[in-house]
Amino acid sequence: MKYARVGVALAATAIVLSACSGSSSGGKTIKIGISLPLSGSDLASAGPARDGALLAIKNFTAPAGWTIQTTILDHAVNGVHDPQQGAKDMTTLVSDTQVVGVVGPFNSSVAKVQIPISNEAGLLQCSPANTNPDLTKGDAGLQLRAKNPTKINYIRVATTDDIQGPAVADYAYNTLKLKNIAIIDDTETYGKGIADAFSGEWTKLGGTVVGREGAPKGTTDYTAILTKFAAAKPDGVFYGGVTSTGGGLVRKQMAQANLGTIPYLGGDGIQDQNGTVAGSFINIAGAAAANSFSSVAAIADYPGKADFESKYKAAYNQAAGAYSASGYACAQVILQAITTAAGKGDITREAVRTAGSDPATTFQTVLGPVQFDAVGDTNQKIISLYKVDMTAQGGKGDWIFDSQVNYGTK
Amino acid sequence: MTALPATSDAGRDRVPVGRSIRLVVILAILAGLAWYTVQKLGIDQATEQLVNALTRGAIYALIALGYTMVYGIIELINFAHGDMFMMGSFVSLTFLGTILGLNGAINDIVPLIGLLILAFIVAMGVMGVVGVTIERLAYRPLRNAPRLAPLITAIGVSFILQNIVQLRYGPFQTNSPKIFPDTWFIQLGGARIPVLSIFIIAVAIALMIGLQLFIGRTRLGRAMRATAADRDAASLMGVNINRTIAITFLIGSALAGAAGVVNGLQYGVARFDDGFQAGLKAFTAAVLGGIGNTMGAALGGFIIGFIEVGSAAFGFTRWGPAIVFGTLVIVLVFRPAGLLGQQLGERA
Repeated sequence: MKYARVGVALAATAIVLSACSGSSSGGKTIKIGISLPLSGSDLASAGPARDGALLAIKNFTAPAGWTIQTTILDHAVNGVHDPQQGAKDMTTLVSDTQVVGVVGPFNSSVAKVQIPISNEAGLLQCSPANTNPDLTKGDAGLQLRAKNPTKINYIRVATTDDIQGPAVADYAYNTLKLKNIAIIDDTETYGKGIADAFSGEWTKLGGTVVGREGAPKGTTDYTAILTKFAAAKPDGVFYGGVTSTGGGLVRKQMAQANLGTIPYLGGDGIQDQNGTVAGSFINIAGAAAANSFSSVAAIADYPGKADFESKYKAAYNQAAGAYSASGYACAQVILQAITTAAGKGDITREAVRTAGSDPATTFQTVLGPVQFDAVGDTNQKIISLYKVDMTAQGGKGDWIFDSQVNYGTK
Repeated sequence: MTALPATSDAGRDRVPVGRSIRLVVILAILAGLAWYTVQKLGIDQATEQLVNALTRGAIYALIALGYTMVYGIIELINFAHGDMFMMGSFVSLTFLGTILGLNGAINDIVPLIGLLILAFIVAMGVMGVVGVTIERLAYRPLRNAPRLAPLITAIGVSFILQNIVQLRYGPFQTNSPKIFPDTWFIQLGGARIPVLSIFIIAVAIALMIGLQLFIGRTRLGRAMRATAADRDAASLMGVNINRTIAITFLIGSALAGAAGVVNGLQYGVARFDDGFQAGLKAFTAAVLGGIGNTMGAALGGFIIGFIEVGSAAFGFTRWGPAIVFGTLVIVLVFRPAGLLGQQLGERA
């Protein structure tokens, strides 16, 4: 872990140095923080979001007299996102007065502890991937921003699990024609949330939930749970959680319980990079990953896709991940807020927050025009569905875009 | 520890009637549990879960043996032992996956058996050597130091092993080739028993019997028992203490290596911090059965396997660890020396 942190610190320093040498404008300095899990299994999904954000910052022309720097903090501990470390990192960012905006976090469990800290400081924070509804909506959302309930500082470009979970349920019921589903979650904020949302919609559609279990991260043996499921004869298994908390393992062990041939469904938590990347869902599950389906709470066919992907490829010499564009969009929102603040006078934390969370502003992002509602949620309610193709990447497998559904129009 | 007057043996001789009553009560409780399980889950799932429990218990038991042997002979709780198991998994996956380039299942029985034997030899051999090296470098210099020193050292060794593996393989789940086909089943009525589970249970039991025979019937085993009973006296009788302790570590670590191979075959992944959880459970198993007692460690391992699988089967997955440690507390309240007592000193 130590080494990973040192590595990230070095990378951050290198970026800061290059940013310094790149811009000749000098003058006053502001910083954009990036707070993501950047080592271990989470790197496969969060790394592309970081690279997207960095690309947006690199392509941005800072307002005259200002220099923009980046501070990257990794809150993965022992290879898995860690809320405690996330809270510490947010405190670090908040206490640096030059930080005016933060891209991150990636996991809802981390957001849950970061939002109260950033809210108290009035620091604009944009998550490329958080989908748990309770982070913003209703009483749960109010509780997280108890210090400044009306000053929205947390916004996100991903839509919420009360849309994502049901979208997967719709797909499983209407497209895959499944009837009996067994559900397992990782007991975390995101995992349990999306599993509940899926379960609700599934029953509403007329499907049957034949089993529901929770197993926390660190579990290695799922055979007992799967044997129990098998007795109820499901024709599909839904997993609420992320790869690093067991998404790949469950799929891999299903064969032993004679469930190897039925479809496996999940949210964006298991939708990470292709089978050649160590620690990704397809890599861990191996051949067992076939017949798996997942969703991403973001638009897959976004307007500037071809242009963005070629730029990304040119910059990093690898294909954009599922969250590259989301990371890029988050940085774009913060940068546009910085421009607005500069236009009105001074770039302060409060000015950036006000500009970034203004429900009346439409932000022009790579994902298309985005507006945030009164609690900071995006108006883009689009879910993309993916399936595993084991013939891709030379037999190692990859996620292939299947379809996208716009719930904003429904 | 060996001089504790409260061991069960003393009580056994005095009240044989009480002992048989206790045995009847325990058997009645077990029969009741079995009956309830079959009622609740149906005979088919109950059988399948029984096999799951035995499989998981077998892995815990193999690891617990290493804890208990080392404790029995030098009274050290070797906190690095869980990480020896984890390293065993990595040695096995490196050998099968990286060196031999295997990925999927091997469906021909002859090459499969050959590869499995090779994997066990490599993992057990490498881990045995690693165990002896650690004993030589980290524990032997501290043999006469205060008790706390080797204990802290063991924790340090645990960190070193974890970080070595993390540096080499990264902090994520690494694929372990499942060369044993998971499509092989034995149909038992309505229940499907994976052949892999039977294989794992058989390997574990064979290794345990082998260990019992080794400790009970060979010269080296006798030297181990003598060293455990009284190191100084054994030394005066001509037992080579250093060699005996090294052999204890060799065997304990080799068993952890075997558990690592089995773990990779069963679950298909390994992670650098797998050793922590597994080590904790196996240590609990050793204490539950009576630390220092090899039969007790095996029994404790299976009990924990049953508790965990049972709680998952009845829908209390999240309560599994709580029930495991709760059982430990209850057992230690009534039998401070563990279920079978701490008897390596007397009988190994």
